[in-house]
Amino acid sequence: MSKSSITKLLDAKGVRHDGRKFNELRPVTMKVGVLENADGSAYIEFGKNKIMAAVYGPREVHPKHMSVPDRSVLRCRYHMTPFSTDTRKNPAPSRREIEISKVIREGLEPALILTDYPRTAIEVYLEVLQSDGGSRCASITAASLALADAGINMRDLVVGCAAGKIEGRVVVDLDDVEDKEGEGDMPMAILPNLGQVTLLQLDGRFSRKEFDEAFKLAKDGCMKVYDIQRKALMEKYFGAEETGEQ
Amino acid sequence: MVDVTRKYVIPGELVSEGKYKNSLNVFRVEDKYYSTRVGMAEITPDSVRVIPLTGPYIPRVDDLVVGKIVDYSAFAWEVDINSCFYAYLPAQNVFGRDYSPARNELTQKFAVGDLIAAKVMAFDRTRDPLLSLSGPGLGKIRQGEVVKISPTKVPRVIGKKGSMIRAVEMGTNCRLTVAQNGLIVISGPTEGIIKAISALRLIEKEAHVADLTQKVQTLLSVKVDEKSESESDGEQEE
Amino acid sequence: MNSKMSKKSLVVEHLKRAQMLDILTKGVRLDGRGLLDYRPITIETGIIEKANGSAKVRIGNTEVIAGVKVQTGAPFEDTPDQGLLIVTAEVLPLASAYAEPGPPNEDAIELARVADRGIRESGVVDLKELCLVKGKNVLAVFIDVSVLNVDGNLFDAVSYAAVAALLSSTMPKYEVTAEGVKDTGKTIPLPVKLTPISITMVLIGNTIIVDPTLDEESVMTARITIASADKNTICAGQKGNPGGFTEEQVMLAIDTAISKGEEIRKMLKKGVGHGKKQK
Repeated sequence: MSKSSITKLLDAKGVRHDGRKFNELRPVTMKVGVLENADGSAYIEFGKNKIMAAVYGPREVHPKHMSVPDRSVLRCRYHMTPFSTDTRKNPAPSRREIEISKVIREGLEPALILTDYPRTAIEVYLEVLQSDGGSRCASITAASLALADAGINMRDLVVGCAAGKIEGRVVVDLDDVEDKEGEGDMPMAILPNLGQVTLLQLDGRFSRKEFDEAFKLAKDGCMKVYDIQRKALMEKYFGAEETGEQ
Repeated sequence: MVDVTRKYVIPGELVSEGKYKNSLNVFRVEDKYYSTRVGMAEITPDSVRVIPLTGPYIPRVDDLVVGKIVDYSAFAWEVDINSCFYAYLPAQNVFGRDYSPARNELTQKFAVGDLIAAKVMAFDRTRDPLLSLSGPGLGKIRQGEVVKISPTKVPRVIGKKGSMIRAVEMGTNCRLTVAQNGLIVISGPTEGIIKAISALRLIEKEAHVADLTQKVQTLLSVKVDEKSESESDGEQEE
Repeated sequence: MNSKMSKKSLVVEHLKRAQMLDILTKGVRLDGRGLLDYRPITIETGIIEKANGSAKVRIGNTEVIAGVKVQTGAPFEDTPDQGLLIVTAEVLPLASAYAEPGPPNEDAIELARVADRGIRESGVVDLKELCLVKGKNVLAVFIDVSVLNVDGNLFDAVSYAAVAALLSSTMPKYEVTAEGVKDTGKTIPLPVKLTPISITMVLIGNTIIVDPTLDEESVMTARITIASADKNTICAGQKGNPGGFTEEQVMLAIDTAISKGEEIRKMLKKGVGHGKKQK
């Protein structure tokens, strides 16, 4: 709540305000199958981010005229609970939430084989219970787990991680403080096996060289998160001891 | 025995590389086959397929389904069959060819809220599934407990040549009707129903485990004749 | 986004209704509970670090999360010396196949208002202690409750989560100086005086049961929620659904709400006591 303002985001040794190195992620945990009613669900903690994802569908489209004859309609809602932010958030969806819902949907869509489910809808609901910078990356990661849990045909999982710039240095995975007081943020999501970039946003100023660095850090971050994501899915279906080949 | 390689996979994971005649639940990029589902991959010299452990029910012609009447028009009942599509049971199929909306009242046969067992008569990508009641054991379900499981686990509940169902029926003195859409009607004594539900929950939870029939038999303390069991304890014949 | 579900998804199976009525006459329920038994209740507190107080409550498969935020604000004109206490509740679209995204419908608004009455009318927080400068600056306590999974009895789950979050909540300590109010950066406990407990009962056939599951709610004829502040005081009530209670049934409901309320009150206080305290 009351937060002392942090002036130094990086100390002389290059250590970040929370003790991380430039290429170090915050602690990440994920769990698949956390909600009883949803067709698929997942929960992610990414630093202080706490996000619940649920999938309903494929199911009948309402209203019916919105259905498409040869594929499923993907819908996505990213929403923050009023208590998820430092200052209470109005429960009505903001323009920011609507935009994030759109980029997450468009980041998930390349992974889904929607033509397998004509005339239906697939709905993805993301609820941010606590936000801490990088919530869209954590959300898309949880959403793809929930989609896999629902058993929807997918080409790949989707995994997100941001890179950014603080005190002139490119670092991975900005938290809330670094996001607000830093010089740049670049959230990204990829299909880890197919190597496609499906979500990319950038704000702040990056030189050409800094962009290359940021891209590499975000990609490496994504692959680290993918490892945790894969284990979480394996654990739900095959038990903790069965995460490798049989 | 055909040489089979098995492994656990998740969407996007490489299942195998090479040339295969048959494939299921994978997608191909040149010679590489990636899984589209969470499940057990089975690779033989000419096929690569993933047996999924979760997913929606997609109707197939001739499937036995259990559904709930949710609406009706002058010509058909609309049936919730636990799928992404509502199914239709044409009035003609019930009243016969000379059905006339002026003469016959649909609600005399089935009311909204009734459960029926039916066969999928027709279904393709462009139309909703059509149901039929012609066949033994089809029609209104009047008694029993209805349990829902993941439709992907139905083959496991049936077992090889019906071995799993037989084990559960013998151990519980109940009769089980297992529909392809994941709904199971259990009828019999109350204690038997409770035992059968716990057996079904075990099968659902451990569908990926080998020697599952054995586990279920232990749970219900029954012994089924060994001949129907194969060493792999695999899927129901397609 | 508009995904209004059609009414046909809410059709109740006749078989289920018949089984339920049959078994209730024998004094038991489909899940093995007695008529006046709750499902297992779990309470976790202190789960949202950014909130002043928070709680997650499960009743069987019904799951809700509540967060408390305390901020400065202006008082209402008719109560210039009192702080504000506002309870909202939302059934998130991820909670059920039938919940819709978008503005709350009448059911969600009823849910929030009943929870709000049960908490505010009981005088759970002394609102005078939330006044900083009379007529100008007061503290506003927002209790926002989100339903994560629906399996019946949302009224009680929302109420327990809101109360548990309040009991575990702190508030920022403000100083009133000549320039105005200033956050000292310190926190003090929220002045919670009471533990109001709501008990929801439904009528199925001629039988009254507590803590209905979604299946039981789908066949109920009427519902009644009674909140008690302590063993002698009831502080909120709401009858719902298009069915009626006899006078005797209403009296039974009140008695049940008080006796059952005492039981749950002890359990809830114990649950909060074991939970994490907010920073």
